[in-house]
Amino acid sequence: MVVRTFEEEMGYLEKTSEYSWRIKKGFQPNMKVEGVFYVNKNLERLLIEELRNSARPGSVGGFLPGVKQIANVAALPGIVGKSVGLPDIHSGYGFAIGNMAAFDVSDPKAVVSPGGVGFDINCGVRLLRTNLFEKDVQPVKDQLAQSMFDHIPVGVGSRGIIPMTARDLEEALEMGMDWSLREGYVWAEDKEHCEEYGRMLDADPSKVSMKAKKRGLPQLGTLGAGNHYAEIQVVDEIFNKSAASKMGIEAKGQVCIMIHSGSRGFGHQVATDALLAMEKAMKKHNIEVNDRQLACAPINQSEGQDYLKSMAAAANFAWVNRSSMTFLSRQAFAKQFNMSPDDLDMHVIYDVSHNVAKVEQHMVDGRPKTLLVHRKGSTRAFPPHHPSIPVDYQLTGQPVLIGGTMGTCSYVLTGTEVGMNETFGSTCHGAGRSLSRAKSRRNLDYQGVLDKMKEMGIAIRIASPKLVMEEAPESYKNVDDVVNTCDAVGISKKCIKLRPIAVIKG
Amino acid sequence: MFKRRLQALEYEEYDKVDANDLQHVKKLVSWLENQKIRHYKIDDRGAILDIESQQWPATYEKYLEDVGCPQFETPLDKVEWLVGLAIRLEYEDNLQSEDFKKGVSELAKLLNIPQHPNHLITLEACSKFICKRLNEEAVKNPGSVIVTGQPFPIMDTNAGFKIKDPFLNKAVTILSLLYIQDLRDLQTKINEAIVSVQTITANPKTDHKLGKVGK
Repeated sequence: MVVRTFEEEMGYLEKTSEYSWRIKKGFQPNMKVEGVFYVNKNLERLLIEELRNSARPGSVGGFLPGVKQIANVAALPGIVGKSVGLPDIHSGYGFAIGNMAAFDVSDPKAVVSPGGVGFDINCGVRLLRTNLFEKDVQPVKDQLAQSMFDHIPVGVGSRGIIPMTARDLEEALEMGMDWSLREGYVWAEDKEHCEEYGRMLDADPSKVSMKAKKRGLPQLGTLGAGNHYAEIQVVDEIFNKSAASKMGIEAKGQVCIMIHSGSRGFGHQVATDALLAMEKAMKKHNIEVNDRQLACAPINQSEGQDYLKSMAAAANFAWVNRSSMTFLSRQAFAKQFNMSPDDLDMHVIYDVSHNVAKVEQHMVDGRPKTLLVHRKGSTRAFPPHHPSIPVDYQLTGQPVLIGGTMGTCSYVLTGTEVGMNETFGSTCHGAGRSLSRAKSRRNLDYQGVLDKMKEMGIAIRIASPKLVMEEAPESYKNVDDVVNTCDAVGISKKCIKLRPIAVIKG
Repeated sequence: MFKRRLQALEYEEYDKVDANDLQHVKKLVSWLENQKIRHYKIDDRGAILDIESQQWPATYEKYLEDVGCPQFETPLDKVEWLVGLAIRLEYEDNLQSEDFKKGVSELAKLLNIPQHPNHLITLEACSKFICKRLNEEAVKNPGSVIVTGQPFPIMDTNAGFKIKDPFLNKAVTILSLLYIQDLRDLQTKINEAIVSVQTITANPKTDHKLGKVGK
């Protein structure tokens, strides 16, 4: 590998507009396409700083800087268009989190990479609305937070309260949300308002290891730890009145529930198993990549197909998981307000996935192509009239749910035609870390963070104390910067801003 | 039964006909053949018009066969079919008449339905409207069919593609909105199907004893 100075490295990066940068070929070896990333001034500083630090002589360890990772992905076989970095990008395993890349399914060399999906397969966000307003909830905020905390098991090693047998799990893995529907945990309308209708059809539980199933079984219906949360939020601002109204959001102060969770230990095990299988596959198929962490296999070979089938099972797991928590949240609210969830109008606005690979149709150089689109820390954002989005959102574009961090705002965006053309219908997914977990623990004070939450009027229930620092807003990029950049570039448009009033965390 | 159809045919005693009374049937059938159906040539109609004859029932059966009436059990079904035939013959002639066109146009105006150059399509629209909005239930409970809600500036919506011709663009926008409405209907039916299956399969359970929070 060539060692270059920071100034030499910068020669490969070119600022093409106020919010976008081009990564030229040659920045990393074997780049098949160029890279692009979207940042505003604040986010740009963070990314460039990261690159500068890594270019210092003697720096070792940790992940490669995000921009380098975008370029390494651009060197993978079969990639088309560009390797895209979204504004919330930060380094991750192989692919940066906030990186999307599309591969041509008809190209026999094109690959699928578990690193491009992430360990928490189908980690995503679901938003429920209610017909309550802030004044109804404020007086009982603490009880409500406690009730949610009692209903939804949280934290590492937590177990669900919905009884599951091994056979139930097999069925759930195959059926996704259809399982939850069949068993009566969710409403028919929930399925309609869910990406992929809550079920990936090519899921094959027989491709999933016993170990993964053993890890997954007790965890179904649990929130998990890390950055996952359930929040009670209120509408803080409406940017697009007609689109918001299509989502059932009528006025400021309306109460919503956001659930951010994924496939727990199950998805993690599926990804780990796949990485091992792919390392072998790379030797077999003679695939060379710039970074060991980018282990991958040809889409059309058995290793690639097996991964996609087990990934789909993990995606289904995550949908059942979010559905179970939807059921539990509805119960918690129903008990507190002594009204049925129906009367509280607790409908799912939408459910998005921000860690997944999917086969989609896109235009490449003016021609329709079937692509395998990897979105890691990136949310699908399809424009109005796209056949894959629910009929209720045909005129507004797909709702894109952007979860903030503890104590910061969340957003609902809508997909656009620009996004479809520029980023294969993808946009950001959240704030994105700016400090590592270890660094947050060193720099921040437990009580200080909690006091600040209290000051902001946010009720908080948290299972593990160290998360207080790790998940503090200071550890993350500013979600407003991220969302505003997406809005300015036009790859998605702001619709609703939500502010938390109660947080339940691992 | 066929009172209104007989009235439409301008049969004098339209509200008094009893299909089980042979005298009534004789009178009606002879009148229908003579005035409306005219299946036989005038010279050949003697037998069917001779309602005093003992042979009339046999003549009637032969007549039914000749005009192509299917085999029915009851006298009522036979008469009904004949009346239907007469209506068809009468109005097939009239469907293209200026009178009829004028009638459709007036009906459409009354119902506030825009007119298609083909008056038969306009008639179809009127019939749809009447069946949907003016049926017994809808008249009793207008709230069930009258759409309420916020007016929506439909012409400001983006049809998904742009056409230079503004008129064409308008048409495309309307078509795409109608398409979305069709999709919505379909999705609603799907949801209803799911809900009806759920009434059989659903049995959600929770067991708080199983729950464990954190390590």
